[in-house]
Amino acid sequence: MGNNKELLLVYSGMQHVALSEDVNVMLTPQLYTLKKEALPLSYAYQAKKIAPSLFEGLLEEGRQYDYMVWKEKEEWVFLAYDMQRITAFLEEKGFALEHVSKLFFAQQVVDLFDTPLALGAESALVSLDRSVVLVPRSALREEEDISWSIDKRFTPKKGVLLQGAYGSLFSVKQTVILAAAFGLFALMFFVEGWRYSHDAKAGDSQIEELLEAYPSLSSKYTRDSIISKYRALDTMERKKRETIKALSTMIFKGVTLTSFAMDEKSFNVAFSCKDDRVTKRLKVLAKENRFNISAVPGSNDLTIEGSL
Amino acid sequence: MIWKRYQNELLVLFAFVMMLAGFAYKNSQISAQLEQRSGANSSLLEIKEVIALKKIWSDKKTTQKIKKLQTLIPESKVTWRSKSKKLTASYKGLTASELNKLVMKILNLAVEIQKLEVKKTASSYDVEFKCKW
Repeated sequence: MGNNKELLLVYSGMQHVALSEDVNVMLTPQLYTLKKEALPLSYAYQAKKIAPSLFEGLLEEGRQYDYMVWKEKEEWVFLAYDMQRITAFLEEKGFALEHVSKLFFAQQVVDLFDTPLALGAESALVSLDRSVVLVPRSALREEEDISWSIDKRFTPKKGVLLQGAYGSLFSVKQTVILAAAFGLFALMFFVEGWRYSHDAKAGDSQIEELLEAYPSLSSKYTRDSIISKYRALDTMERKKRETIKALSTMIFKGVTLTSFAMDEKSFNVAFSCKDDRVTKRLKVLAKENRFNISAVPGSNDLTIEGSL
Repeated sequence: MIWKRYQNELLVLFAFVMMLAGFAYKNSQISAQLEQRSGANSSLLEIKEVIALKKIWSDKKTTQKIKKLQTLIPESKVTWRSKSKKLTASYKGLTASELNKLVMKILNLAVEIQKLEVKKTASSYDVEFKCKW
């Protein structure tokens, strides 16, 4: 928790520090610009949106400002601060930025500055008209109580994170956006992966159904044995039948089958043709079916031979 | 405390690594699924093929179906010798139509044709058929 850390007030005349543990830092008006306005706004984000226009002409040009906004009774309090300038100042005063947890503004705890707070011998912080301002010590009444230091009581609830402001590639906002986007993608990929792993298991159901109906086929050895026994037989017998069917298409008007012989390895067919025209047509058909044709000398007859 | 200086980068890096890990996990699951599907498909096809082959070539009704080759043609034209799961049949003096019918029937039987001979004698056909199943 940020509130458990030591709170250091920083101002231009302060001594150099050497930090060994994390601290919170409270900034004096030297490092921010304050403006109060009574505006008919309901939400802080609306006020934050118009903040740059409110400070127009008040801030140094060419610098990058951030804004803090909150509502005090009927007024909106606007603080403009230059993070680069603040970090440069902190480094100049010896702050190791990685030890700085949060930045706070003195204005946030204006009520606690009812008693002036001495900033060295020359100046003091004091609440004037509900604004924390820096005044010369000589301007204070002599009998007025002065406090010399701040403690953890001064730590407001809301602060500015310094992470991302010192040499970091990403701001907090960018970090959140990028991490959320990557995280979302990671989640989507993991969910998709999980779904794929479950879909893969569902694909086996058809095999299981078949194996329930044919339990003897659950062994790969049995399946291989059956396949090796019947596949060659099936191929060979289909070839025989296809050959016979192809030969049967070659019997047309003018062609007579005179003999046909088929065994397990080869076949031989003899066709008698009525005339040359029929013989030629038969030859064409035989070629289409890639059969070996031989003509019987001295006649129109044809012999077809082949192996299976 | 150097990590604190770069905690934004570390957080983004961690989320990025998680995204890469998620992507790798998803891809590995896709590959595993494809592999498993391919294996399951080949097993499924193999089982279906075995079932189909057995159905055709181990049909217990084949013996009964073969007997029809005897009754298909008038008895006087048929010489029938069947023993165990082997058949030798001779057909004499078949008409072209009978020959056609007989050959079509033989072609549709799931038997191993060992010998099929057709000879034209005058206007009829003689057939020798030998098979086993």
